[in-house]
Amino acid sequence: MTPRNTFFSLRGQQIYWCAAILLFLTAFPFFWMISTSFKPLREIFVFPPYLFPKDFTLANFDRLFEQTRFLTYFRNSVFVSTSAVVLTMTIASAGAYSLTRFKFYGREKIASLILFTYMFAPIMIVIPFYVLIKKIGIANTHLALIMAYTAFCLPFSLWLLRAFFQSIPMALEEAALTDGAGRIRAVIYVIFPLALPGIIATGIFTFILAWNDYIFVRILITSDELKTLSVGIADLYNATVIDWGMIMSGGMLITIPVLVFFIFIQRYLIAGWGAGAIKG
Amino acid sequence: MKISTQKAGIILISPSVFLICALLVYPVLYGVWLSFFKKHSFFPEQKFTGLANYIYLMKDSEFWMSVWYGTVYSVSTIFLQIAIGIIAALILNEAFRGRNFVRGVVLFPYMIPTVVAIILWKWLLNNQFGLVNYLLMAVGIIEDPLSWMGKDHIMTSLIIISVWEFFPFVVLSVLARLQTIPPALYEAAKVDGAGALSRFIHVTLPQLRNVLFVVILLRSIWMFTKFDTVWLLTQGGGAEKYIRTLPVYAYMRTFMYYQAGLGSTLAVIMFGILVVSTAVYFKMFRREEEI
Repeated sequence: MTPRNTFFSLRGQQIYWCAAILLFLTAFPFFWMISTSFKPLREIFVFPPYLFPKDFTLANFDRLFEQTRFLTYFRNSVFVSTSAVVLTMTIASAGAYSLTRFKFYGREKIASLILFTYMFAPIMIVIPFYVLIKKIGIANTHLALIMAYTAFCLPFSLWLLRAFFQSIPMALEEAALTDGAGRIRAVIYVIFPLALPGIIATGIFTFILAWNDYIFVRILITSDELKTLSVGIADLYNATVIDWGMIMSGGMLITIPVLVFFIFIQRYLIAGWGAGAIKG
Repeated sequence: MKISTQKAGIILISPSVFLICALLVYPVLYGVWLSFFKKHSFFPEQKFTGLANYIYLMKDSEFWMSVWYGTVYSVSTIFLQIAIGIIAALILNEAFRGRNFVRGVVLFPYMIPTVVAIILWKWLLNNQFGLVNYLLMAVGIIEDPLSWMGKDHIMTSLIIISVWEFFPFVVLSVLARLQTIPPALYEAAKVDGAGALSRFIHVTLPQLRNVLFVVILLRSIWMFTKFDTVWLLTQGGGAEKYIRTLPVYAYMRTFMYYQAGLGSTLAVIMFGILVVSTAVYFKMFRREEEI
């Protein structure tokens, strides 16, 4: 352990200042969003601006719920992201288990295919994807979105879970098997509980990716009642007069679920596990 | 019933392989196929035109502009992200009170939906009521409000927003590596009389080499193909022309001019540029011990 830098040494002071600047640069825009979303209209457009709202109000949220379909978008986002997580985790856990516990022809080739497809960016796929989806006739459905997210999250999910399963000793399973448990029982009672933290963390990455996505929704969904939050919020700009208070309150509300999940995975991230999972 | 392990393994991996092939690999190949057709985005008709799309683009000044804007955008944002990311990671690797809190907050811009990053900054950079213009005028750096979304400054705004949104990825990767550098290396350098800067250059940087190799590769791929941040900043209106990078141009060709064939051609060219640059990058910088 390196000794903690106290505020009283010169080096300690320099570090505190640097950290404060860093904190300000990253956190201030969020503070400003929150502050704006609780301000009444006349305070939003006042010059010079106030740091905190003087007349605290919820009027911006009221307008968001009454004049837009925010709640519908929110429900859609929750449904699509959750479905994508369940589907991706089921398929990827089975796949990762297979890649770490069985030997079969082509296993290493499959692993490198997965790593290669991990590099794909949405814009490279979305155009042919759209043409194909239209051909099958499922354009403008949530199913198309769920498929897109599952496909997109599979490569990194497999990759992360493979690393996680590799860290679970084979011996545990073998012990269960020699004790007379079948393989399925061994997986359910021995492997699954040990793998659960990894599956949860990977699931959260998938959720955040699906929740944050803009391009697939923009392209695959045309009906307003099927849109998810990213596109719903972005479309609030199409009004002739931009209602900043309402937009900021919407921005705040779609950030909250991400913030909650982020707190769960933060310790994995800082230890360096899964850093590449959220592509951006 | 007993099934051989070979079979069980293949059964368990096959849904993953099937979905990846059907929904990622096949669309990319289909895109290559589409790039040889004149194809409307909505109607099923298509006409084989050979290399006509590619030839058209070679003569298309808009295409070359988008390559140029895309290069300016990716090179400058990657450079700034890496520089700021390393500095931030070095600060966050020091021991101080509240470190875990600051570490969490610093990662936050990377986790939020892009649309939130965009609305935050559009509001901060608003030319009439934005806080940034207010502060710059209060300090006396500028006299009149800057039009951040106007054609002269839109690229600067885009770069600021993108660096803010994506530098935490660099922090994350570098910080994880910094934590594993043995302190003994620094002690030894100190005994040899190396100063802080010299310790950074001769101890820290070589240790970071491998992680930076991967981080620069991933960031380059993702910045070069970045669509939503660039598109959402203008949504096709205003000074959009001055930040029309290759991904945005491909999107516009497909979904505003309905030329899916030409759009696919642009995506294929993008893919080609990436494959070639990645190969060159590996040849130039890869060492044996790396992944």
